[in-house]
Amino acid sequence: MNPAIDLIQSLLLVAIAPLVSGVIARLKAQMQNRRGASVLRPYADLLKLFRKHDMAPDTASWLFRFAPAALFAVTVTAAAFVPVLHASALFGVGGDFILLVYLLAFGRFFLMLGAMDGGSSFGGLGASREALVSALAEAPLLLALTSVAILTHSISVAGIVLFTLQQHPFQLSAVFVFALGALVLVAIAETGRIPVDNPSSHLELTMIHEAMVLEYSGASLALIEWASSIKLTLILALLIGVFAPWGMAAGASLVALALAPLFFALKLAALTIAIAVLESSIAKLRMYQVPDFLGMASALAILAVAFTALMR
Amino acid sequence: MGLIEIAAAKALASSAVFLFFTLLVMAAAKRISTCIVMFSVQSAIMAAEILAVAYANKSAEAYTIAALVIVVKVLAIPYLLFRIVRNLKASQDVASSTTGAQSVFIMVGLILLSFFAVAPYARTLRVDEDMLAASIALLLAGAFLMVSRKKALMQVIGLLILENGILLAALTTIFGMPLVIEIGIFFDLLMGVFLMGLFVFRIRDTFEHLDVSKLRRLRG
Repeated sequence: MNPAIDLIQSLLLVAIAPLVSGVIARLKAQMQNRRGASVLRPYADLLKLFRKHDMAPDTASWLFRFAPAALFAVTVTAAAFVPVLHASALFGVGGDFILLVYLLAFGRFFLMLGAMDGGSSFGGLGASREALVSALAEAPLLLALTSVAILTHSISVAGIVLFTLQQHPFQLSAVFVFALGALVLVAIAETGRIPVDNPSSHLELTMIHEAMVLEYSGASLALIEWASSIKLTLILALLIGVFAPWGMAAGASLVALALAPLFFALKLAALTIAIAVLESSIAKLRMYQVPDFLGMASALAILAVAFTALMR
Repeated sequence: MGLIEIAAAKALASSAVFLFFTLLVMAAAKRISTCIVMFSVQSAIMAAEILAVAYANKSAEAYTIAALVIVVKVLAIPYLLFRIVRNLKASQDVASSTTGAQSVFIMVGLILLSFFAVAPYARTLRVDEDMLAASIALLLAGAFLMVSRKKALMQVIGLLILENGILLAALTTIFGMPLVIEIGIFFDLLMGVFLMGLFVFRIRDTFEHLDVSKLRRLRG
């Protein structure tokens, strides 16, 4: 029965990802006194894009078409490592939190290759910015997850979640606070939200993600957009699983499994509201400030790792 | 009731972590008002700490000190500082000479340094190592903020953080200083903030800025 639940929760993560993006966009619109599009709009967009003709620049090679598919495949694979409803994962292996970090990095690598293969100057510009952000975000992400792994005495994402789930909220070490701080900062950079990148901006001076996907159209664009919303949902699910998994099912009891989606939806809703408030209330950082932002995340993550030895 | 007691015990046991967190936010902060709010939060954590000591030792003096901390450091001094900031009508920027990431890295270094510095003493004195380290970290952080921020108001805030560190050190090692001395210190602090406030206004009126790194020449 367990593999079935694991499969369902991974597919659920993939399926609700556009909805999460839609809800954030809607909440932001309403906070800015606009009515906003329906929360189901991203699904309609994806459907529309899949039906459209997929254009490629004359200068592009096979890599241009291959990159979106590879990005999507890698992101969906990464989603299979994150527990959502049940404290286990489809592909849980020892040390898979490292694999998770580098699967996400691998997906970004393909996206950057595709952007540079497109041949436009914006693609190269976006790719170089993305490379800068991802190179700086990798260390704090890995360090923060390492500190959590040390605190929970487990080396897989599912193990970390299971350990935290079995603890009383007040039994957890306070060092989690530092890991949470670092991971939240990294999550903002990783998912390209304000203040690091503005997902709804097409301004040449600031765009990172949008610059990379400028040459894409049709099914390729749909795959990229879907993959980036999966990545957002995946990182939110990871934050929920690592820092507040209570409500998730630990055993195979049907009642717990039936309640788990409700708890997950509540926690996800809280996070989307937090993102919408944050994005509506603060300005985007200048590009040169981004290394500073991620430097703070690195310092926090280093402190989190050091404290696993210093404090109980 | 059990849950609340567990929560309170856990919050107190991990109050050192929250103190460190306020320090890191101050290091990352770009606005003076953020630093003032964080100072207030920091003092509130200290007040909770003193209340816990008061409850454990059943000492009336400690309750008085906790009340003083809440009135003076959590409410009065932040209010005064906010008023100064509002009346100055100057920019809110702390004018740091290190970048945000550098400040946070230095702060992390200071926190780790304080752990290594207190390790031998904590063992012989048989006191809570985390809290002793937190008090040393507050001292170092206050001094660091004073030397690295160029705005005159940040010197006041740095001094206040430093004083919080001394109070915490006294609290963890000898369960607080005698009441008379504490009251004297609080009065001193309040007067100090008053005087520094006036002084900051004078600096602004004479030099038309608050950057202490530019106070090189005498002016009448």
